[in-house]
Amino acid sequence: MSLPDTTPLIALRQVGLAYASPLTRFAPARDGRVHALHDVSFDVFEGDKLGVIGRNGSGKSTLMRILARIYDPDTGRVRFGRKIHVQMLSLGVGFEGSLTGRENAVLNGMLLGKSRAHMLGRLAGIKEFSELEDFFEMPVATYSAGMVLRLGFSVAMETDPDVLLIDEVLGVGDASFARKSQDALVARFSSKMTVIMISHDPTIIGTFCTRAVWIDAGRTRMVGTAADVAAAYQKTSSPDAPPRLHHQSGRLDADAPR
Amino acid sequence: MNLSRYWNIVFYRALAGVKAESRQNYLGYLWYLLEPVLSTVILYFAFAKVMGRGGADYVMFLLIGLTTWQWYEGACLQAASSLKLKLHILQHFDLPKFLFPLVSVLVSTWKFVCVSGVVVASLMVVGHRPGLNYFYLPAIFGCELLLILSVAIPLAVIVTYVNDAMTLATSSFRILFFVSGIFFDTDKVPVAQRGLFYANPIAGIIESFRNVLLKDLPPNWDALLRGAVQSTVVLALGLWLCHHINRRIMKHVAP
Repeated sequence: MSLPDTTPLIALRQVGLAYASPLTRFAPARDGRVHALHDVSFDVFEGDKLGVIGRNGSGKSTLMRILARIYDPDTGRVRFGRKIHVQMLSLGVGFEGSLTGRENAVLNGMLLGKSRAHMLGRLAGIKEFSELEDFFEMPVATYSAGMVLRLGFSVAMETDPDVLLIDEVLGVGDASFARKSQDALVARFSSKMTVIMISHDPTIIGTFCTRAVWIDAGRTRMVGTAADVAAAYQKTSSPDAPPRLHHQSGRLDADAPR
Repeated sequence: MNLSRYWNIVFYRALAGVKAESRQNYLGYLWYLLEPVLSTVILYFAFAKVMGRGGADYVMFLLIGLTTWQWYEGACLQAASSLKLKLHILQHFDLPKFLFPLVSVLVSTWKFVCVSGVVVASLMVVGHRPGLNYFYLPAIFGCELLLILSVAIPLAVIVTYVNDAMTLATSSFRILFFVSGIFFDTDKVPVAQRGLFYANPIAGIIESFRNVLLKDLPPNWDALLRGAVQSTVVLALGLWLCHHINRRIMKHVAP
């Protein structure tokens, strides 16, 4: 028997990031840098179900993009324990309206980090889970917003990364699909997968996560068990929005449905 | 594994581009051909009298110049805005930024290949049989592709940071159109100005295509080689730029 591995999968130390101001010669303010993160430190371990809680504008989304390697921090360090693929749950982002559901499933899976061969082997499962039936062979431009989300979600469920980042969304689409998709996501929380979920809702964090980090104005305010962090957060701030489990709006590329 | 994944992403997105283009217009793929043909007709009437040339040969002379030019300009200008238009995708995926201009280049190249087939067919109709020099065509094609990539990749990055570069690029191409030997022969350029003329690599490429297709002569190797070296250096700089800005660029353009 060996002790559980205590090397963090991802280690953040004093991470800070500022968005640059646009390059404009005649704009009044030259120093328009927006400081999103000042000093964030915490560890992510293999198999963690980590919640990141904070108010709107606290820097949660910026933190997500640093974890997903969309950008490097300006100050501090992010160390990845090994070569891992960290991916945000992005539904329907990068879909091409002129391609069929089948083609988009392959393309999207590749954007999500999988090989073409991996995706070709999972098309049947995606078609079935999405319940798109004949529409699977039609251009995505003919889809309703709900269908786009269904396809996006079905692809995401066949492309599990090493670390999954979830931004609030738990279920998508109409009532029946919302339940099904929520179940599929919740199953990720009881699997061995490493999941990081951001939310401003302590109830969600307390329910699904085991550990949590509280981000306040770009700084780590507390790291601990999800229950402790959720309770402490609830004490100082009343939730700024009602619990949100469903996500209705689809997002597509410029050339997608009109 | 990543390289083949990147290539497949580019391929699928290019396929989407080709399909989208055919769906957006009533005449679809026919526009690939109509575009250069219309320009040829206009230029023919504008220049046939001025240059004192006419006939089928001058039509073919123009058509070769225009299709070659349109591949260059179309690919570069499409690529220039490709990254800026797809930023919402890059907010979600960690991808090398040169993939997006590469998609535009691939779509334009596909168009060029389609049109080239028709151009070669028309050449045979007017009596230009393919000669042994045709074996040099892939080399000229490669030089132009290299030139396009060397312009398209850095331009896409620069336009994302500074939108003004798009206006500059459009104007530059408008000027280059008149000095690239599209509607005149290289021997019309004064010898003293030839050095400057060939500093613009597309001029040597157009001349080489015509040498092979119309005159059954080898390409202008001197000009091609200089262009290829120039393009390789600029392309290397462009790829370095992409690498340098890879995890920075989104901080400039995000919320």
